[in-house]
Amino acid sequence: MRKADEQGFREFAAANAASLRRTAYLFCGDWHTAEDLMQSSLMKMYMAWKRIKDLDNLIAYARKVLLRTWLDEKRRPWRRAEQRDGELPDAADLTVDPDTTSAKLWARELVHTALLQVPPRQRAVLVLRYFEDLSVAEVAVAMGCSEGTVKSQTARGLATLRTIVEKLDNSSGRVAS
Amino acid sequence: MSEQEIREGMLLAVWDEPPLDFDPDTLIRRVEQKKSRRRALVAVGVATAMIVVASFALPGLLPRDREDQLASEGPAPSASVRPSEPDDKRAQRIGDLLSERLMTMRPELADVYATTRSGHPYSGPTSTTRAPGDPDISGHVLFTDQIGPTALRVEVGKLGFGKSGFCFGALACRDLQQKDGSVVTEAEFTDGGPDIVRAESVRVFQDGLVVRMGSFSYNPATGAGLRQTVPLRVSVLTTLVTDNAIPWR
Repeated sequence: MRKADEQGFREFAAANAASLRRTAYLFCGDWHTAEDLMQSSLMKMYMAWKRIKDLDNLIAYARKVLLRTWLDEKRRPWRRAEQRDGELPDAADLTVDPDTTSAKLWARELVHTALLQVPPRQRAVLVLRYFEDLSVAEVAVAMGCSEGTVKSQTARGLATLRTIVEKLDNSSGRVAS
Repeated sequence: MSEQEIREGMLLAVWDEPPLDFDPDTLIRRVEQKKSRRRALVAVGVATAMIVVASFALPGLLPRDREDQLASEGPAPSASVRPSEPDDKRAQRIGDLLSERLMTMRPELADVYATTRSGHPYSGPTSTTRAPGDPDISGHVLFTDQIGPTALRVEVGKLGFGKSGFCFGALACRDLQQKDGSVVTEAEFTDGGPDIVRAESVRVFQDGLVVRMGSFSYNPATGAGLRQTVPLRVSVLTTLVTDNAIPWR
């Protein structure tokens, strides 16, 4: 690869690695796996950089690669499955307002735990629509499906998420707004 | 739960994101290593496939006469290859005819048969080399007389023959000129004893081919069966070696 192309990739990767890792985290629910998914996606992009470097929306292409990489990873029968058999102890952070922190933790836990129970493709649609703020058309391109499918998957995903959140709220004794 | 709450919840979910330790150069190095590994793997695969294909295809592609030529370019000119099938057949034919002639001449002999073969008598069946001076055909004509089983020794080939050495210590040694130009030298030996313990008749053709037959006071086929004197005298041997119906050449 030419030096100029390599430099272009280096800049793209440095600028988007964090964003891609966050999206990957919402897909898989684990920061280590998210980092692996991000790196695998960037490696694939580097190998195809000569062909893709002139695309109009490179970050959309990167999201597409990330989504495919994650779905491929999930399909592999020998994929890594982390065994979570314990809870990390909560550490008090005295530098922040306790009420705000508690609300953040509750919302995060609720969404994250519930999101992981939504089927993968519906989860992907929800993340791309509400986290990445992509339009229906952009999500359709990223997922390689029609806009109608994106809409139906979004509706089903939201319904599934709400049902799960409600169950989690009831079991924890809190009332969802 | 509204869409706005879901959006906020997702943003909160990545709120405690661990610091990112990402170096594009490390990633590029890993990709390059992966690419070179893949190239090496492909090269090894292609090379292996080519070797396999070549090993199967080459023997079929070589022309027949080339194979013969390669075979004739053997290790050394002095060491000839294993005798061909016609040599074996000729040896068998000579052995059969010698047995027939002997039975005709001496009908009192029993169990007459020959074990002549191409090559040296002491070389194994898989031996492929022959030293200079080794016979082309060698073996024994076995029979049983009134004393017991014994044999005559037969050798045919470019053996080399010196009369003085052959006749040394002989009781009688003489040459018999044949019509075809060959010379038969026959001799009997007592080796210092009262009885003949060795009788040999050698026919030397003009082209250097030597036919040599011997009768001994023991069985030359086994090295055992010691007896007082030879089972057949030299006249019988000379009759056999001068039989022109036998395909010596």
